[in-house]
Amino acid sequence: MAATRRLQKELGDIRNSGLKSFRDIQVDETNILTWQGLIVPDSPPYNKGAFKIEINFPAEYPFKPPKINFKTKIYHPNIDEKGQVCLPIISAENWKPATKTEQVIQALVALVNEPEPEHPLRGDLAEEYLKDKKKFTKNAEDYTKKHSEKRPAD
Amino acid sequence: MMDQAQGGSVASSGFHQLSITVECAHLRSSTLLKPTPYVEIIVDDKTPQKTETVKTSSQPKWNETFTCLVTQHSKILFSVKDHNNFRKDTVIGEKKVDLFLLLFHFNGRCDNLDLTMDLMSDAKQTDSPSKVGELICCLKGLVIDMSNTRSNESLPLGPSNTDGMSNRNVLNGIRAKLRGQGSENVMPNPSSTSTSSTSSSRSNSERAEHRRTHVNSAGSAPISISPSNNSIPNGCIGPPVTVPNGNVVHNETEETRTDGEPLPPGWEMRFDTYGRRYYVDHNTRSTSWERPQPLPPGWEMRRDPRGRVYYVDHNTRTTTWQRPNSERLQHYQQWQGQRQHIVSQGNQRFLYPQHQPAPVPGPGPSVVAEEDDGLGVLPSGWERRVQPEGRVYFVNHKNRTTQWEDPRTQGQEISDVEEIPLPPGWEIRFTEDNKRYFVDHNTKTTTFDDPRPGAPKGPKGVYGVPRAYERSFKWKISQFRFLCQSNALPSHIKIQVTRQTLFEDSFHTIMRLPAYELRRRLYIIFKGEEGLDYGGVSREWFFLVSHEALNPMYCLFEYANKNNYSLQINPASYVNPEHLTYFKFIGRFIAMALYHGRFIYSGFTMPFYKRMLGKKLIMKDIESIDPEFYNSLVWIKENSIDDCGLELYHSVDFEVLGQIVHHELKKNGDKERVTEENKEEYLTLMTDWRMTRGIEQQTQAFLDGFNEVVPIEWLKYFDERELELLLCGMQEIDVEDWQRHTIYRHYTRNSKPVAWFWQFVKQSDNEKRARLLQFVTGTCRVPVGGFAELMGSNGPQRFCIEKVGKESWLPRSHTCFNRLDLPPYKSYEQLVEKLTYAIEETDTFGQE
Repeated sequence: MAATRRLQKELGDIRNSGLKSFRDIQVDETNILTWQGLIVPDSPPYNKGAFKIEINFPAEYPFKPPKINFKTKIYHPNIDEKGQVCLPIISAENWKPATKTEQVIQALVALVNEPEPEHPLRGDLAEEYLKDKKKFTKNAEDYTKKHSEKRPAD
Repeated sequence: MMDQAQGGSVASSGFHQLSITVECAHLRSSTLLKPTPYVEIIVDDKTPQKTETVKTSSQPKWNETFTCLVTQHSKILFSVKDHNNFRKDTVIGEKKVDLFLLLFHFNGRCDNLDLTMDLMSDAKQTDSPSKVGELICCLKGLVIDMSNTRSNESLPLGPSNTDGMSNRNVLNGIRAKLRGQGSENVMPNPSSTSTSSTSSSRSNSERAEHRRTHVNSAGSAPISISPSNNSIPNGCIGPPVTVPNGNVVHNETEETRTDGEPLPPGWEMRFDTYGRRYYVDHNTRSTSWERPQPLPPGWEMRRDPRGRVYYVDHNTRTTTWQRPNSERLQHYQQWQGQRQHIVSQGNQRFLYPQHQPAPVPGPGPSVVAEEDDGLGVLPSGWERRVQPEGRVYFVNHKNRTTQWEDPRTQGQEISDVEEIPLPPGWEIRFTEDNKRYFVDHNTKTTTFDDPRPGAPKGPKGVYGVPRAYERSFKWKISQFRFLCQSNALPSHIKIQVTRQTLFEDSFHTIMRLPAYELRRRLYIIFKGEEGLDYGGVSREWFFLVSHEALNPMYCLFEYANKNNYSLQINPASYVNPEHLTYFKFIGRFIAMALYHGRFIYSGFTMPFYKRMLGKKLIMKDIESIDPEFYNSLVWIKENSIDDCGLELYHSVDFEVLGQIVHHELKKNGDKERVTEENKEEYLTLMTDWRMTRGIEQQTQAFLDGFNEVVPIEWLKYFDERELELLLCGMQEIDVEDWQRHTIYRHYTRNSKPVAWFWQFVKQSDNEKRARLLQFVTGTCRVPVGGFAELMGSNGPQRFCIEKVGKESWLPRSHTCFNRLDLPPYKSYEQLVEKLTYAIEETDTFGQE
């Protein structure tokens, strides 16, 4: 496959870089177009848990951007109930074939840590975030404790 | 097979809608207190549907109707309960109905079926349940073809088994009769085979009757293609049984939603060596990562005599090769919605009145009757002949036609002016856009017009008329019309079609006739509406057939880039095993439209027209069909790529119907890395590949069909935009509507260039307006709902004028965003000059 070499290199680079905020990267040897991994945020209220994501690369990668999906439920203004996330770096207008998955993940982690209520996917949560930050933090924390994955030990 | 379909048989698999009307109940009340009853309907242990409660009554009436999704094996539990404000509601009596036995008894028909059920209760202190009342319901809307079931499945309870205890429990106490039928069919004995067959034929005719009225009341003409009617060469549409190359996004929510539903018949769930779940479809011998969705209501999967799977939609009495899903059905509905506009649209389109060949020179003045005329050999299949009186003509053996014009020169601009030196004091220069212009140092002026005598501006161009006139669309049309007229054949051909089977009838007639016959005058007859065809009928026929060709269920064409104006060949068209024959038909049909001067409903993409004209496709052409891909190519072109880890090689993949197709752009391309040095070649190869991937055979079949009726050479007068105008016609453009729905970037409504722009538009004729629109939006057509509905690649996209560049620049356009980049010109005259130039020149100009 045309995208294989690029993805293998990117995968190797990411694994070697030892990102603390993105771990447990699992990729099927037969299908390098789908990656799974664990987002480990370090800002409250999300630092109480970890979140599984899936990255799907199109056959035409890197001519077209990958798509990211949360597999773990998360209480976040920029991530909807289906786990879809709106990330500018992989939007049609901004995508460049030189953009690396590592950059995409870093942008994602930054978004999780620091929600952008100005561009929400969930208007209700964005409103709560802006109007009653305390309540939002409390809800998000409860939600994280209830639904999120266990954080890695180290 | 269509007869069967008209019989109204519905899928033997999957879900169906059943409407249940709960009418009333007669309850034996043994106590003094009357109950407050309501009814719960539970299909296969799913969520109950409830009626309202009726206060303290033993003769409650509800008359409430529920719609349930059922399979033919569904068990429906009717439960009459007593509502109590303080305690848990208690069950008064229940009855479970085995739908299959009902269907079996009534030959698959539960439509207007009155059911009287004995309500049983085992709450009493007795050994066996006792009857506590009766519930009366009416079932509607379920018609299933049971003939399949009988041959394919063994009955869960054979007729000989009816005495069995379990059976009696299910059947006892249900009486059913078809409404409007005299005698009551008392349930419990499924009849013997002979009675079943007589009643089967009876209810078949009833079903047919029912269908007809249904169709009439819906008021839409049903359409039909029936794959099994066509003789199809070898057809194996299903991919071989292998685990698919997974690229399918697993959607968890979707999975959990469908997990509870059974797989359709013939499907099996398996796990691969990595423990991943996949699905095997034994019907088509294919595999998929995605859990199959049940067929929508009214759909059925069938096999043709060759064992190939196809799908029948009993709602519209049509068939298709591709398994329906919600997206395709949505496209279909959208497509169907256009139907009402087609004919009115057709009456709004126009071009210039047809010109007689005069005043332009008659045929063949440029042909010299010499053996060697210096033009080289004729194209293959052509022959040059001389009439007895010495006049030269040309025979096209490919389609057995003759013409006066030399195929080597017609439509071509043979020009030797390049050899002539410029007049003294003149110089050739190129603009930033690599467009040639001329500087006259004598007068210190510049012009785009070539000052040399002979061609571009001289008194006569290559066709012997003034060059300026030659460039006019009118002149080109008259040339083309002249070619058509001088190669017309006498007499006429009849094309008889039924509205319901328009596409198939037209297909069969047109493919049966030798191609050259299609140049005879057309005599179109809609069966049952016989009348003389003075042009109106054939105009309608072209419009309707061209719209039919886009029927998403035929899988032949798709809308390019989510934009619903322009069509491109669907790379997945091969799901229709006969697709190449259909493309050939459409090629013939399009050529006929041009030849007979008729319009079609919807046009193709600009790259497709370019391909028809044999023009080379460039990178910019990709923008209109796949802007994301285009942007990436541009990025690679404009940036130094050696140190950014692109890891690109001279090979590429794409996905069609869930399968990834790998392609090497050149020999050993898999091994050759893309570098700064060789990227130009790579981009060229990628461009070629992107514009042809998955559609080469189809395009060729289309062109073959076209060329049989109208030699492609005849089109060479036109550029791609003119070809669209010629094929789709023009329409009156409402400038006020256009202006009202235009947005501006870095300009305002009141900016001078903007005001001049609208002045220019208002002063232009329809052709110029159409061309301007084409330049900016990629098509000359306005949406049915006006400019407010203009679409871009990401959904609705208003016409936009943006301030870009300097006054020396030419205007540019971004067709996928309907955007015009208009430089801030200094005067109205300058704007007119530049804009006119931009919309009349097509080649590469303004496009890269």
